[in-house]
Amino acid sequence: MKKIDLELSVGIFILAGLACLAFLSVKVAKTEIFGGKGYEIYAMFSDAGGLKEGASVVIAGVKVGHVKNISMVDYKAKVVISLPLDVKLQEDSIAAIKTRGIIGEKFLVITPGGSEKIIEPGGRIRETMPAVDIEELISNYVFGKL
Amino acid sequence: MVLRYLIRIILFFSLSCCIPITVIAGEPTERVKAATDKLLSIITDPELKGPEMAKVRDKMIRQTVDDVFDWEAFSQRALATHWGERTSEEKKEFISLFGQLLERTYMDKTRQYSGEKIEFLSEEIEGEYGVIKAKVITASGREIAVDYRVMKEKGDWFIYDVYVEGVSFVNNYRVQFNNIITRSSYEELVRRLKEKVAGE
Repeated sequence: MKKIDLELSVGIFILAGLACLAFLSVKVAKTEIFGGKGYEIYAMFSDAGGLKEGASVVIAGVKVGHVKNISMVDYKAKVVISLPLDVKLQEDSIAAIKTRGIIGEKFLVITPGGSEKIIEPGGRIRETMPAVDIEELISNYVFGKL
Repeated sequence: MVLRYLIRIILFFSLSCCIPITVIAGEPTERVKAATDKLLSIITDPELKGPEMAKVRDKMIRQTVDDVFDWEAFSQRALATHWGERTSEEKKEFISLFGQLLERTYMDKTRQYSGEKIEFLSEEIEGEYGVIKAKVITASGREIAVDYRVMKEKGDWFIYDVYVEGVSFVNNYRVQFNNIITRSSYEELVRRLKEKVAGE
């Protein structure tokens, strides 16, 4: 009887450990099981400037979502953004790629618009500003633009 | 029998090639181009150069710009989330103030015109919206990328934003206006706009 109790508790302990491990790996990798509780929209940029998948999507300095996928379509960067359901974006919102500090990581800033139309799930943010290339700016300044 | 069928098919295709296809691409570019051409002709007109003609000249410039710019769309986009909270009178006042502010800011620039040229490069239309890509070439040969964002309203194309070197004109004002309204109030923004418009 005592032996069964011991085996049972070891089993439960191991199962709990495995559950914790699974939870951690999902959290760390920022993957979503069962689709998550959000929706996706996309934006086309002429230059994604090294924006990475998983980068923050920020409104008013607050992280609201993340970049889910970046691919090249028709020689432009297609950036898929994942947002929570309660964050609604107007169709004249502007998405811009910004850099933390001078050489820091890239992230996406959205400034909400004034339109009454809301971007539906799967829709597109039409207005985008490409990443500013600091290196290019410096070289233009130092060597002069032709 | 088969031969006759083949001939019919060939005839059908060759005929369908002859049906004229109405070219609608280029309509927004033509409109913007016409406006910039008109603007350049006003700016470079020697008869309008003198200080006594300044008022006439400024009026002509304003009229040309008003023809292609949708000031309401500009104002709505610039005020962004605060637009919906305004009454229709406030909106009207804001559109007029914003227009006057831009007039004040950019009218002086037109007097410093020194032979810049504009070249229209491409046009992308997607339903009611479009992007016209152009470049301004300065007298020294420097090139500046300019994108006109246009939308169709009541059958005509109007500019609702201008991007210079990838930086949105509307977004610039949107961030500034939002800062002022969030830190103080909408009334403060209007007060500042009036001050700017009235001040020398």
